[in-house]
Amino acid sequence: MERVLLKNIENPESADINEYKKAGGYKGLPKALGMQPREIIDEVKKAGLRGRGGAGFPVAMKWTFASADPKFPKYLLCNADEGEPGTFKDRPILEKNPHILIEGMAISGYALGAEYGYVYLRGEYPGAKDVLNRAIAQAYEQGFLGDNIGGKGVRFHLAVHQGAGAYICGEETALIESLEGDKGQPRIKPPFPVNVGVFSKPTVVNNVETLSNLPYLIEIGGEAYSKIGSPDCPGPKIYCVSGHVERPGVYELPMGTSLKDIIYDHCGGMKAGRKLKAVIPGGISTPVLPPDKIDCPMDFVNMPKHGSMLGSGAVIVMDESVCLVKVCFRALKFFEHESCGKCTPCREGTGWLRKILGRIEHGEGVDGDIELLLSVAGNILGKTFCPLGDGAASVVQNFIKHFRPEFEEHIRAGKCMVNG
Amino acid sequence: MITVTINGKEIKLEKAVTVLEAARSAGIKIPTLCWHEQLEKYGGCRLCLVEVEKMPRLQTACTLMVADGMIIRTETDTIAEVRRGVLEFLLINHPLDCPYCDKAGECELQDLVEKYGLTKGRFREQKRKVPEALEDPVLVRNMERCIVCTRCVRMCEGVQGASAISVINRGGHSHIEPFSGGRFDCEYCGNCVSVCPVGAIMSRLHRHSYRPWQLGSETKTVCPYCGVGCTVVVQVRDDIIKRVVPKLGTVVNNGLLCSRGRFGYEFVGNKERLTTPLIRKNGLLEPSTWEEAIRLIASRLSEIKDKHGSNAIAGIASPRCTNEDNYVFQKFMRVAVGTNNIDSTARTGFAGAQGFIENIFGQGATGNIISGLANSDAVFVIGGDPTTINPILGLQIRACSRRGGNILTVGHMKGLRYYTPLELRPSVNTEIALLEGIVSALMKKKGPPGSHPVLEARLKDLNAQEADLPRICGIQGKDFSRFIDTLAEAATPSFVIGKDMIQSKGGSYGLFLVSAINYIVNGRIYLLSERANEQGLLDMGCAPDLFPGYRPITYPEFRKRYENAWKTGLPDKPGLTIFEMMEAAKAGALKCIYVMGENPVFNLPHTKDVEAGLKNLSFLVVQDIFLTETAKMADVVLPALSWAEKDGTFTNMERRIQLVKKAVHREGMEDWKILSEISSNMGVRMNYSDAEEIFGEICRVSPLHRDLNYEEIEKGDAIYPYKGEPLRGSTDEIHIEKSAGREERGKLYLRVERPLFHSGTLSRKAPALVNICPEAVARISPATAAALSLKDGDIVRASSKTGALELPVAVDEAIDDSAVMLSNNFQGKGAFSLMEYEIDPVTKAPCLDSNQIILEKVNR
Repeated sequence: MERVLLKNIENPESADINEYKKAGGYKGLPKALGMQPREIIDEVKKAGLRGRGGAGFPVAMKWTFASADPKFPKYLLCNADEGEPGTFKDRPILEKNPHILIEGMAISGYALGAEYGYVYLRGEYPGAKDVLNRAIAQAYEQGFLGDNIGGKGVRFHLAVHQGAGAYICGEETALIESLEGDKGQPRIKPPFPVNVGVFSKPTVVNNVETLSNLPYLIEIGGEAYSKIGSPDCPGPKIYCVSGHVERPGVYELPMGTSLKDIIYDHCGGMKAGRKLKAVIPGGISTPVLPPDKIDCPMDFVNMPKHGSMLGSGAVIVMDESVCLVKVCFRALKFFEHESCGKCTPCREGTGWLRKILGRIEHGEGVDGDIELLLSVAGNILGKTFCPLGDGAASVVQNFIKHFRPEFEEHIRAGKCMVNG
Repeated sequence: MITVTINGKEIKLEKAVTVLEAARSAGIKIPTLCWHEQLEKYGGCRLCLVEVEKMPRLQTACTLMVADGMIIRTETDTIAEVRRGVLEFLLINHPLDCPYCDKAGECELQDLVEKYGLTKGRFREQKRKVPEALEDPVLVRNMERCIVCTRCVRMCEGVQGASAISVINRGGHSHIEPFSGGRFDCEYCGNCVSVCPVGAIMSRLHRHSYRPWQLGSETKTVCPYCGVGCTVVVQVRDDIIKRVVPKLGTVVNNGLLCSRGRFGYEFVGNKERLTTPLIRKNGLLEPSTWEEAIRLIASRLSEIKDKHGSNAIAGIASPRCTNEDNYVFQKFMRVAVGTNNIDSTARTGFAGAQGFIENIFGQGATGNIISGLANSDAVFVIGGDPTTINPILGLQIRACSRRGGNILTVGHMKGLRYYTPLELRPSVNTEIALLEGIVSALMKKKGPPGSHPVLEARLKDLNAQEADLPRICGIQGKDFSRFIDTLAEAATPSFVIGKDMIQSKGGSYGLFLVSAINYIVNGRIYLLSERANEQGLLDMGCAPDLFPGYRPITYPEFRKRYENAWKTGLPDKPGLTIFEMMEAAKAGALKCIYVMGENPVFNLPHTKDVEAGLKNLSFLVVQDIFLTETAKMADVVLPALSWAEKDGTFTNMERRIQLVKKAVHREGMEDWKILSEISSNMGVRMNYSDAEEIFGEICRVSPLHRDLNYEEIEKGDAIYPYKGEPLRGSTDEIHIEKSAGREERGKLYLRVERPLFHSGTLSRKAPALVNICPEAVARISPATAAALSLKDGDIVRASSKTGALELPVAVDEAIDDSAVMLSNNFQGKGAFSLMEYEIDPVTKAPCLDSNQIILEKVNR
């Protein structure tokens, strides 16, 4: 498949507007401006585009809700708070191909009737901030942003807001809180952001990758777009692969490419021919899979059928040299650190899980610890305010589900069976 | 109609509410921690999770709105399990120090664990350790106990509007901290203490001195501080007040209090309270007996009356005493002494202003419901910061702003600074010109409403030019236009008037102008009142020209009515106002003043003059709970019972009559009892057995109180006229004396600060309030500080025509460049000692805004 989102990124000047145009950029926007906003939303619906942030929510549905709300002004937010461990799929777009995002946002803004957009950028992406700001300035200069886009009187203004490094701000309502200047904590839903979002106005929050699909989608039309990859959730998808493969990196492939193919075909197989032990297919919050479960199409519809989720498409590959108790412990350290503290189960439970895992990892586990872990995780799962706590609980549950003997051995022997 | 089924019970609802509210309405209890009826929804604690059919996840009952046909279960095995789990999470880091924690016994977490929780802990690790924060004199924070429900933060931000505390850090490190660090830099309302479900934020006043179940007696009564009249519950152990707390659902303050109300009660148990009568012998006040003191007073009063006539005697009543005390006081003065020389410190503003406004709009015009402010679409504030003078009323103004109303102020109101979209800050002593400008502009914009020809006739000549305002008042044209537009567009505006307006030169004319604005835009007026029973004292006839129920003494038919009621002849000439009393005393015409519960030496301007007058008397009686500056000059001092030690009623600024109830016992007599003893000794028998009997008489005598009794008052909504005669309408004549202050550029003018934490005599005997705000400071603007090379804490000598004080300065951005603010709250450092005054010819209130003051740095 020809790359769409990461087109031209080998070109060192790919972030420049002229290079982007030379490679065929800024074609979707003029076409979109020739359409009615409603027609754009219909195209997106026909295309079957789903949000690439992790939940896979149908984009056209979200847009329809927001555009149906009579309140004005409306806002379009780009969620560029790419913080899920293992995930670096948006980063190449932000750093190498920013204009595809800007063009996508201008199209989306027009479709939604939103005149203002913000890119909520991850605090740890300072490079992307400079690239984006330069690209936005260029887009203003050439009339792709501003008060009269394409000479058609369409207004869309765009600004970058850099986060302060909180994972929770990837959750859309926490992102909105943070953007408004408050502490990043999720809000009560409903009302949903499409009705009461930033500054209490209708707001659409879409992921970087999602929005970057728009220029191409409009250019070729929804019908043609829907033919790419999985019929249930079509389009190109960026998979970012890390860990023990020969060629870790970013791969733009048709949605639904098999996990097995990604590892053994695109990434050149396991590093140094070692044996695969476990794969986390979609970022740390998605359930870990053992080697015998990896023959599954990587998309939003099929992954749940195979016991995991597509998530952000961040594939973390681990070979036999990895202690999974340690990975689980490290993951919980992350969740504990990133828990916002709003709700009880997540605030208290993630820390408790981490403490128990720490004991096991350090050879101080006792009989009953595994049951305790499962019980505590069970008390978190489904009881938290937002999915962060669910993620933490399901990591523990799935690691134990697939690799229980390793935990038992840690407790029994007081040491690691992999690293001694 | 929405129908939902909760635990098999069908519930019909008029409108969509939360599942929690729906369940409560049907008597189904769902446990909660972060939820609180006064606060914004949060959904954080997760205790109220319930099962809803067709919803895959459990839902928080406190956030989920009901929908027609919803089927909800709140008590299932799964839910019991969830609650146990949540409580276990809360307990893993919560210390099990219940035996030591003051909250034990009324701790919501303790109660819930007892009901739903596990019996055995599974947490094997170290609990979080956080030392107790004891840096603050009044509030103690114990963050080990904090369950991060954020009720305190939501209270502070969303209801109190102080925004002084916040959740600091994230996740398991979350805790509550004042922005200022260890010590609170806040309004000390203590409403965070009220809502904390555990022992994380508590009051230090009664620390470790009781267990909640030992607070044997609880008395619902009225706060003794300001004219709002908040309902408070006084909790007592062993006859000592341990706590004063608000109560949810009460009509005036619904679960909220201010610093004075909550932390100011300690004056009651103060060791400096007077215990026995004192009689001056050989120049010294010596302890004596009640018999001796009462006999002495009765004989000296009779003697003076015989020798110099009844009008050589005057009485000063008390806005801190009950209606019953004040009623008996004026009756004593009118019947036993035979004079109308009765007045009070209400004369310093409230009395005259209320009379003036009522004359224009009819009686009761200033008695509007306080909570109504929150529903106004615009609130115009002038003459003082309501958030410090009447804090609970101030909260209603903040609530108005939060609901989208516009707050318009003339002058800078610090407590409203985050809520004031429109502020006009005229240069010193030019308010009158600005008000004239506003009236003219509104008349042009809206035209005369046509319903009050007398008032409109008075507006005819008024033609202030907007173009002159920048030059005269320093107001910019565009600010003025926005102000006028907002005011003109308001549909339900309210006007809040403070004392500074009344006490300025041309105050009565200013009141007329504000009344005119109010008339043009069809608003309601609120008159701020600094004392708990300022309204009631006037209702009771403690005024030189009015009988109880505001009946003018000069109308023979009214006088007849009271003569019949009291079975005696009554003086027909109006008596002296409090300021005239001081003049007459200085001149020697007045021989005796009887002071009940007031401290004129401190609470009237021009201290030296007041002292001179009182010194010149041949007999001064002071009846009080402390040996005040005035009591120290007295010939006889009588110890009275305080607010907490007697029954009676207060009437708040809304005209709401509320019961004051005895909460603690103390040897001694109520003010009314002392007066009736003296009266009986003078041959005019008064033998009331209790306050209720006096109130019975009041209701027979005052046409406003007819048919009222304690039982009716207890029910809550006793606002007069209860079933009595309608209030008087407006009159045909409005008396105006045009006058305005003058500004000498470059001079500093003394202004009275009315601080949140003090109220004068009582508050300085309450250690908690003194700890919060321990000393008098002169507040100056940064520009003044720069001009005089002063910085925070520098000692200055502040001198005026009438005296000089040495005190530290505080640089405060809220102060006007031409003003020096000084409170009148600290012994020996009161602003009034530096002020002289002239009397407004119409309201008879003192004009205090022309006092120039010089600051000089004192080098030590």
